[in-house]
Amino acid sequence: MDDKGSRQSGMVDIQVVHKAFAGFQGRLLALKDVMLTIHPGEFVCIVGGSGCGKTTLLRIVAGLEADYDGAVFLDGKRITGTGLDRGVVFQEHRLLSWLTVRENVAFGLAGLATGKSGAEVRHYLNLVGLDQFEHEYPHQLSGGMSQRVAIARALVGRPRLLLLDEPFASLDALTRMRMQQEILRIWEAERTTVVLVTHDIEEAVYLADRVVVMSPQPGTIRTVLPVRLERPRDRTDGEFIRIRKSLHNEFFTPCSPAGLRKTR
Amino acid sequence: MRTAEHNRGLVWRAAAAEARVKSPGNRIRIPDRLIGGIIPLGVLLLWELLARAGLLPPNWLPAPTVIGQTLYQLAVAGDLWRHVGITLGRVALGFWFGAVAGTLVGGLTGYFPLARKLLDPTVQALRSVPSIAWVPLFLLWLGIQETSKITLIALGAFFPVYLNLSVAMRHVDPKLLEVGKLYRLGSFQMVRRVVLPAALPEYIVGLRSGLGLAWMFVVAAELLGASCGIGYLMVDGQMTGRAGIILASVLLFALLGRATDWMMSALGRRLLGPRAR
Repeated sequence: MDDKGSRQSGMVDIQVVHKAFAGFQGRLLALKDVMLTIHPGEFVCIVGGSGCGKTTLLRIVAGLEADYDGAVFLDGKRITGTGLDRGVVFQEHRLLSWLTVRENVAFGLAGLATGKSGAEVRHYLNLVGLDQFEHEYPHQLSGGMSQRVAIARALVGRPRLLLLDEPFASLDALTRMRMQQEILRIWEAERTTVVLVTHDIEEAVYLADRVVVMSPQPGTIRTVLPVRLERPRDRTDGEFIRIRKSLHNEFFTPCSPAGLRKTR
Repeated sequence: MRTAEHNRGLVWRAAAAEARVKSPGNRIRIPDRLIGGIIPLGVLLLWELLARAGLLPPNWLPAPTVIGQTLYQLAVAGDLWRHVGITLGRVALGFWFGAVAGTLVGGLTGYFPLARKLLDPTVQALRSVPSIAWVPLFLLWLGIQETSKITLIALGAFFPVYLNLSVAMRHVDPKLLEVGKLYRLGSFQMVRRVVLPAALPEYIVGLRSGLGLAWMFVVAAELLGASCGIGYLMVDGQMTGRAGIILASVLLFALLGRATDWMMSALGRRLLGPRAR
């Protein structure tokens, strides 16, 4: 609410050279040469099929994956471990069942001084439209409401970067569309940099300033497509559909000659 | 999940209600508690009638009313309260030591993998010995006085508390631990704010079964050599050929065990708050 100026930062520089997991049969190469710069206040969607490393990439930026070659910088500072400068929302809401909605949101202030936490928590409960439900417990909430609480928890520490890992994937279609509008509204109010991982192409085109398409084995960035449509976007608009189609084609045409040799 | 189950429950109940209305012959609804009481009440009644008719030998199986009288006489004489107080004291003390030890060791092994690797195999090995089998050794080491009884009860209460807490702490959803990590909780805060609350329901189950075992072992301890306590009453009844006293003691154990379990579960519900249902 106060330091709007510094909130304009939130530039992310991703340089992941190599990330592998010790897998079932030897090592599985999850990410290879993923280079991406995200501008302050930008909304970036990362799309890709399962196993393309998009979630792994997000977890690296969140600081939850440590063992990789390369570096990720947030406003020029190298990321080591998790931090309150980044808010994270997972596919599952991951709320603590023994805390009320309000206490769950306040949990996002864990490492911070809690003097003025009351006002902060209230502000974000308002922002996600759940101020009426602050004393409820997670099991009393619907899926969409739970995910709103998770978003409020991620934002309450006023992070410079909001990371969302398929946050709406487990919601029904109508709720998902409503949540997509919500996240845009929140983004416009907060001006935080947002990175959202999804497998839903339409969702990516609806939300993003730029769509990053990833392809698997090894996980690499296949293409980056800017979406220059006015918001709110019309999903039935001709240009919207054209962009969606071209992204669709990216998915279903083989990319590298190496990939071709493998599949044929 | 919970709401889904709840809804299923509602749907099921609604269907059952509908079936009740529709089925023509069975319009009168008898509460479940009454249905469950039919057999015990019937047996009691039959027992009383047979005893009064002189068909049951009174020194083997006295009538329920006679057992009630025995209890009443013991209570009036003041003996009852002494025996009950002593048994309750033993259970309380033994359970306290066992639960505290179980909580400490369980918490340690639940949180520190090294402690688990170090201690758990030994505890599991000890657990495979039926606890009563230690009695001769306890008697030899600690004498027939209170110490050996309390030790036996504590040992019985220890294992379920240890096991439930240790396993529950180890099985806390890693996804929730990751949330704690995101907000940079230190180890202590992580345990206090995430691990312990998540493990609490199973810990309470452990406490309840620990308390149940404490009751089991107080009976064993008092049967094996005591000069007071409800178990002693039973032995006394057996020695003097008074089945009434034995049955009265059985009834006392049942009532007291049930009462303390109810207290423990009430405490659990309090601690669990909204998760209790």
